[in-house]
Amino acid sequence: MIKNLLVALPLTLALAAPSLAQEFPDRAMRIVHGFGAGGNADTVSRIMGEAISTNLGEPVVVESRPGAGGTVASGYVAGEDPDGYTLQLMVGGHAVAAGLYNELPYDSVNDFTFLSTIGQFPFFVAARAGEYESIDAVIEAALADPGSIVIGHSGVGSTQHLTGELLGLQTGADFIHVPYKGGAAASTALMGGEVNLIIDTGTVISGQAEAGVYDILAVTSADRWPDAPDVPTLNETVAPGFDVVSWTALGAPAGVPDDIVAILSGAISDALAQPDVRERIAALGANPGASTGAELQALVERQIAVWSEVIETAGIERR
Amino acid sequence: MQGTEQDQPSIAKRSVSGGVLLAIGLIMLAVAWEYPVGRLTQMGPGFIPRVIGFAICAMAIAIIVSDVMAPALPQARKIQWRGLVFVSAGILIFAAFVDVVGLVPSMFLAVAVSMFADDDARPLNVLIYASLATLGGWLLFLVALELPIPAFWR
Amino acid sequence: MIDQFLLGLSVVMQPQILMYAFIGVFIGQLIGVLPGIGAITAISLLLPVTFYLDATTSMIILAGIYYGSQYGGSIASILLNLPGTPSSVVTCLEGYPLSQDNRAGLALFVAAFSSFVGGMIGVAILVLAAIPMTLIALRFGAPEYAMLVILGLLAASLIGTGSQLRSFAMVVLGIALGLVGADQTTGYYRFVAMPELADGISLVSLAMGLFGVSEIIRNAANKRPSGPALSIRMRDVIPTRKQARSLVFPILRGSGFGSFFGALPGTGAAIASFMAYAMEKRFSRTPEKFGTGHLPGLAAPESANNAAAQTGFIPTLTLGIPGDAVMALIIGALILNGIIPGPRLMVDQPELFWGVIASFFVGNIILLLINVPLIRLWVLLLRIPYQKLYPVIIVMICVGVYSHRTSVTDVVLTLAFGVLGYLMKNYRFEPAPVLLGFVLGPLLEDNFRRAMLIYRGDFTIFLTRPISAILVTCSVALVVFAIWSSISARRKTVRPPS
Repeated sequence: MIKNLLVALPLTLALAAPSLAQEFPDRAMRIVHGFGAGGNADTVSRIMGEAISTNLGEPVVVESRPGAGGTVASGYVAGEDPDGYTLQLMVGGHAVAAGLYNELPYDSVNDFTFLSTIGQFPFFVAARAGEYESIDAVIEAALADPGSIVIGHSGVGSTQHLTGELLGLQTGADFIHVPYKGGAAASTALMGGEVNLIIDTGTVISGQAEAGVYDILAVTSADRWPDAPDVPTLNETVAPGFDVVSWTALGAPAGVPDDIVAILSGAISDALAQPDVRERIAALGANPGASTGAELQALVERQIAVWSEVIETAGIERR
Repeated sequence: MQGTEQDQPSIAKRSVSGGVLLAIGLIMLAVAWEYPVGRLTQMGPGFIPRVIGFAICAMAIAIIVSDVMAPALPQARKIQWRGLVFVSAGILIFAAFVDVVGLVPSMFLAVAVSMFADDDARPLNVLIYASLATLGGWLLFLVALELPIPAFWR
Repeated sequence: MIDQFLLGLSVVMQPQILMYAFIGVFIGQLIGVLPGIGAITAISLLLPVTFYLDATTSMIILAGIYYGSQYGGSIASILLNLPGTPSSVVTCLEGYPLSQDNRAGLALFVAAFSSFVGGMIGVAILVLAAIPMTLIALRFGAPEYAMLVILGLLAASLIGTGSQLRSFAMVVLGIALGLVGADQTTGYYRFVAMPELADGISLVSLAMGLFGVSEIIRNAANKRPSGPALSIRMRDVIPTRKQARSLVFPILRGSGFGSFFGALPGTGAAIASFMAYAMEKRFSRTPEKFGTGHLPGLAAPESANNAAAQTGFIPTLTLGIPGDAVMALIIGALILNGIIPGPRLMVDQPELFWGVIASFFVGNIILLLINVPLIRLWVLLLRIPYQKLYPVIIVMICVGVYSHRTSVTDVVLTLAFGVLGYLMKNYRFEPAPVLLGFVLGPLLEDNFRRAMLIYRGDFTIFLTRPISAILVTCSVALVVFAIWSSISARRKTVRPPS
């Protein structure tokens, strides 16, 4: 109610929900995610929830069930009815978790219906301005004096952390990886000079880079990122073949009927075609774009294989 | 002060609180014993748990000693079983039901059950009051705040 | 600075923006009163609203919810021993005894006024010293945080009212509870009996259980004398001149502590209020009065958490770095409006930057103006028989804790801590040090191990880094002072009483 009053107050927007002549959905839906209120996952859920709700004419509530790197929420969703009313916002961590956890109460692929990606985003490698000329200089320094380069990351087992480990594995450089509580804390440590590098998303890094505090040395995607065409890739410089792109997507419990999947996928791709939704997703550092369920599933399977190997080779404690 | 007996509590009674703390410390050590300890300069996840476990045990022993030696010890207050049982029951019922039947019925049950902690509670009063409280809770949490909790499941 | 602040004021003084500022602080105030439902829940629920508002207005309304909730948090603490926000746990220690002594009105007034002064000092520092504070904050690395926490633990091990040994044991128990969950440095699971515990015990569960639920268990079956003599005359609400004078320095000290801790990313209002209380008690001439409704012990942490709520915006606004989860949400709202927060915010968006800061100034005044008249209403709440009140409180705790992480486990844990807190008190153990250890313990472990990792096990960094060295010196001085004062106290008591 408070929400509606606030929206109505400036009378800027009249939301008219189209009444669709179809059976699904006929009541409120929800998007469950496994991260804290206010994190990126939560924000993306709310952006998509808002758009899907306008599209299908039923309210969408966002439910945060944080815990154990998102696996509490995945386990919960996997056990819910596949009626299309329970959706899950998945992130790249869904694929990481498959390799990181010993006993997941669910199967990361077979217990879910994959609907569509929402956006894909790379990570950027950043250092304090002027400290390193290029990513090549960093790797040279690391190879010359093993253990001299400290990389701050946003938590053990995060995609950021594993990307750093993968960079070390592929270049043979011996980095020290230091965990912080989230990307913002790692960024503070970089600014304060406690670490030499951070690898994180555009939202964490670009504000500092624009202000000239950080130099962005490289991007983790295989090809140059459209929003930052001047930033070289790791692939073309120090680590040929390097390709890390994380993603957000929507899924549901396994076994959602095909006609409902079609309605949901349609609503998602319609939402992602709206300029304002695209703008908000892009503001969060991602390249917005829908996919088919099969494409999403293939992406998840591919990344499970990659991350499981990194976790194995880097000797990261499985839990 | 509230006890009727004039004499001081026995040694066993005096060492209850320290004893429970000692038990907590020992359980902690037992569970954490397998965690990798590492060294002071390169601590494993088991280092601090072990230190804290020993610290709790040491302090528990010190507390037992000081309680037993103390010339006069205030009597431990009597446990209010009625309050403990019904308040606990109310909260547990809420926890058990909220994911299954939704917010409104679980609020009603939690209020109704916990009201019996008061020995003056009469069934009819409880029924009326719990209904009113549930209505208020519904207005506050679901209508005004729009918390993402279903009112009734399905 | 002042010119720019005036520019900000001109932004806020537009009627529509003023109204949003009012709505923000008002919602925050209400949310703060509700146990368990914190600013994070409220802000994330309102986040979609900001899609329809511009960046400045969004920031003003969301920020208002945050610092408004700091005001509201103290109300339930004072009246019902129910910390509405984690940072108001300390408010319970002096506020609730005052309320039981039929002086709830006075306690509420002192809390509101201290909050106001703390908030205003925080705003002043934000206006005048945002950049220097940022530079200091950036010099706090892992070694500094580790030493700061040690200093804090030393200072605060006296926080309980009972014996030293018992209160120190409870600090350690709190540290033990803080160990539950995935180890931050290695990801190793410690004491994780079920997957819901992988991220640790929630502070909300612990605080609600130890304080709120345990108090209900204690009183539910008791016939509390319904207070006929509850006074709500304004004369009894306003402190006497003597009382007011005794509050000047505690409020200033509390504001200083709060402003400092607020500006450090990752510490926040809860730690600020704990530290302010501990220091106030440590250096008080009458430490024995603490815990019995001592006004300076109420005023210092109240001013501290509100000052911290304001200076918490320093790293957020000057660097674009969120110091805690609430700040991350507020930054999220900025990003959604197409503004990338960073060091250039102040230059590129002066109207937003200064408008938001000016809204804090105006918001604090609004909060004081709505709080003082409301005291009457809150005190009337105590006229409701406890038998009618407690079932409703139980439900509010349940819903609040549940909604926090949509977790049934958290609700059950809250009950478990309630029973624990009830039994503890029966055996003369205080709950407040448990929370202190719980908040500070992980901060110490993580930062110490991080320092060892970065500096490859070199202990001398604690002494060679200047700020760290200062903190070590303070800790040593504190220990020496404590030993010296206990020796001199013993000498006094050795003399036979005449």
